Amino acid sequence: MSAGLSLNGISVGYGGRAVLSGLDLPAVAPGSVVALLGANGAGKSTLLKAMAGLGGATGRPSGQIILNGQDLVGMPLEQRVHAVGYLPQALPQGSSLVAYEAVLSAVRAVRPDTPRDHVEASIERVFDTLGLRPLALRRLRELSGGQRQMIGLAQVLVRNPRLLLLDEPTSALDLRWQLTVLETVRRIADAERSICVIAIHDINLALRFCDHVVVLGHGRVLASGPPTHALDSDVLRHAYGIEARVEQCSRGFRLVLADRALPDAGRAATPFQ
Amino acid sequence: MAVLVGAALGLAGAEMQTVLNNPLASPFTLGVSAAATLGASLVIVMDLSVPGIGATYLIPAGAFVFAVGSVMIIQMLARSFGATTDTVVLFGIAMLFAMNALLWLVQYVASTDALQQMVFWTMGSLGRSTWDKVAVVAAVLGVCLPLSMRKVWAMTALRGGEDQAKSFGISVETLRLRVLLRVSILAAGAVAFVGTIGFIGLVRPHIARLALGEDHRFYLPGSALAGALLLSLASIASKNLIPGLILPVGIVMALVGIPLFMTLILTQGRKL
Repeated sequence: MSAGLSLNGISVGYGGRAVLSGLDLPAVAPGSVVALLGANGAGKSTLLKAMAGLGGATGRPSGQIILNGQDLVGMPLEQRVHAVGYLPQALPQGSSLVAYEAVLSAVRAVRPDTPRDHVEASIERVFDTLGLRPLALRRLRELSGGQRQMIGLAQVLVRNPRLLLLDEPTSALDLRWQLTVLETVRRIADAERSICVIAIHDINLALRFCDHVVVLGHGRVLASGPPTHALDSDVLRHAYGIEARVEQCSRGFRLVLADRALPDAGRAATPFQ
Repeated sequence: MAVLVGAALGLAGAEMQTVLNNPLASPFTLGVSAAATLGASLVIVMDLSVPGIGATYLIPAGAFVFAVGSVMIIQMLARSFGATTDTVVLFGIAMLFAMNALLWLVQYVASTDALQQMVFWTMGSLGRSTWDKVAVVAAVLGVCLPLSMRKVWAMTALRGGEDQAKSFGISVETLRLRVLLRVSILAAGAVAFVGTIGFIGLVRPHIARLALGEDHRFYLPGSALAGALLLSLASIASKNLIPGLILPVGIVMALVGIPLFMTLILTQGRKL
């Protein structure tokens, strides 16, 4: 059984309209962090939902999603949630639930028979890892959007899944917490040999923390590869409709400097090959 | 009877507020009460009779069938058009208006005697209780409460957000439809025997939520308990407010419930 994640010919559509068409991703090794980039509506969230088995209106995708030798397409959701942890784009709602209960329910809903000691130890570990212990007994409605996003992340991490699918996990966070989240995800992927796929808008954070970058656009992969090679001005123009440069900062990271938005005509050009 | 009806409607209200993610949801939001009233009214006005079954049970039976039937229709519509919370609530409101319109029609054509009987039924009263009826409501509660408690983790997870719950492998649509069916049985079982009792199922979950939070291991039984306690107190009040006169408990509950609900909104509104 080969370890890792690969996508073969994944297609997803809404009501007859193809959102993703024949999408391939070469094998990604355990311990990798993959960034999904692309403009709004490029299909990042759709792809993550399809991988999580939450197609909704899109229904079941066609193609293969191979995780550690097993095809996730067609695998019952109850079985899939044991291997896959998905963080939705929507923040946990501001209810009267205490943060600890929200994370506890995430474990119990998936694994109701786990011994209590084990569950409590897992929750304490993830609260410590994310620095959330001061929030543990606060109600969700009392937390800020960013704090609730962190609780959502804790709900995913507490189950220690083999594949983490994070849909814009830093969208509500300030700079410090953005770095905290990505450093944590990086550390977990390295330590647990899990694979993490992150849909993210901040290209520079993606280039800094991810091993592999996938740029989506026009329903398919526009570019894919390590951060040092995947992005250039052409890819950015076709993916985002912007004029931008890719440079190297003094610490060796690739850095994208966006100069200006191109008129719509430039964006609607023939899909990038 | 007050304990059982209060517990059944308190539990039904709590479950409904969770699956519809709406603090104003109650068994009455979906027109369950209006449907029960219509069913009872039809039996009264048509003077239906079934050999071997007296009117004492035929009227509640009519109420029960209509209440469950209304939820079945909503479920079928919701299943066809997508069982989101908004869809279910909208169909429920439509059902409420439809049932009320039909009820007015029945009242319009009813005889004076039948009309008086219908009005008395809709006021809600524990005075018609017998041990047989208590046993039926107890059986309904005895079946539904354990089924509710089996899904406490899914319900708790749902309070953290629908997308989050789905990501834990919970089939939210299926959960919602099953809970609504259970709620209709609970509400219909209770309302069928005692008539309409206002504010039940609406206020009590809020009290339980404020006292116990939303971990459904405690919230669901807490809401049932709050329901039992409040309706019992209302029942005692209905017998003692005016010496020598037993007021319909539905009136007392509504009169007590409205200021209580307003107080909750004004003092704790941000926490509901």
